[in-house]
Amino acid sequence: MDKGCELDRDGDWAVLRVWGEVDLSWSQDVRKQVLDAFTRVKSLAVHLDGVSYIDSSGIAALVEGFQHARSKGGRFALLAPSESVRAVLELARLDRVFPIFADLAAARAT
Amino acid sequence: MSAPALLRIEFTARAESLSEVRAAVQRTLFAQGVDGRDAARIVLAIDEACANVIRHAYRGCGDGKIDLRIERHRGALRFRLRDRAPAVDPGCVKPRDLSVCRPGGLGINIIDDTMDHWRLRPLKRCAGNVLTMVRRLRARSA
Repeated sequence: MDKGCELDRDGDWAVLRVWGEVDLSWSQDVRKQVLDAFTRVKSLAVHLDGVSYIDSSGIAALVEGFQHARSKGGRFALLAPSESVRAVLELARLDRVFPIFADLAAARAT
Repeated sequence: MSAPALLRIEFTARAESLSEVRAAVQRTLFAQGVDGRDAARIVLAIDEACANVIRHAYRGCGDGKIDLRIERHRGALRFRLRDRAPAVDPGCVKPRDLSVCRPGGLGINIIDDTMDHWRLRPLKRCAGNVLTMVRRLRARSA
């Protein structure tokens, strides 16, 4: 599939792997998956190395997840964002806001 | 007289149209010698502008149309986005404070950061809105 997302459980974390171009056409699906994950766990990592493009609606879904985790005393992390995701995070100055790690082990260790 | 169009497309104001629009804009930018990083940034800004029209001008409903025209003029690329949605108040369309972390509202910041100049103008007699964005070409592609 050229785009999609898949949620897995890894101990006390959920990992949402997202791939393809995240734009207005399905960013609401990503948002729903992000928020649904918190019904099962308190901490969510979103794996972004397969995301070739993301727009502000996709970034908004991540911000919602981050804020939700923080309000519930959980954790939120971005894993291995692709270069194009990083560029948008920097543009929005969110690279200083989101905890960003290479993998889940690094997120856990912090 | 306006410069000849490098690209002129009309598409339905639906989120599903955006992927093809991005591809068409990217092809045009590469043909003008814009490098990969700049092209990615400009494509994002155009995508955000189109998404704003779909979500806020047309309010996500109906089969409204959007025209995108790209011209090269005096060492700059000019992007003209025209819709037929109800008039938008340009005073309400401005970048937000990025020091506040909240979801949404980033589109105008991205356009503002990417373009050297932009202007939103509602047309007379409720004929829609025109967003004009100008980006100077950098040395390699000028």
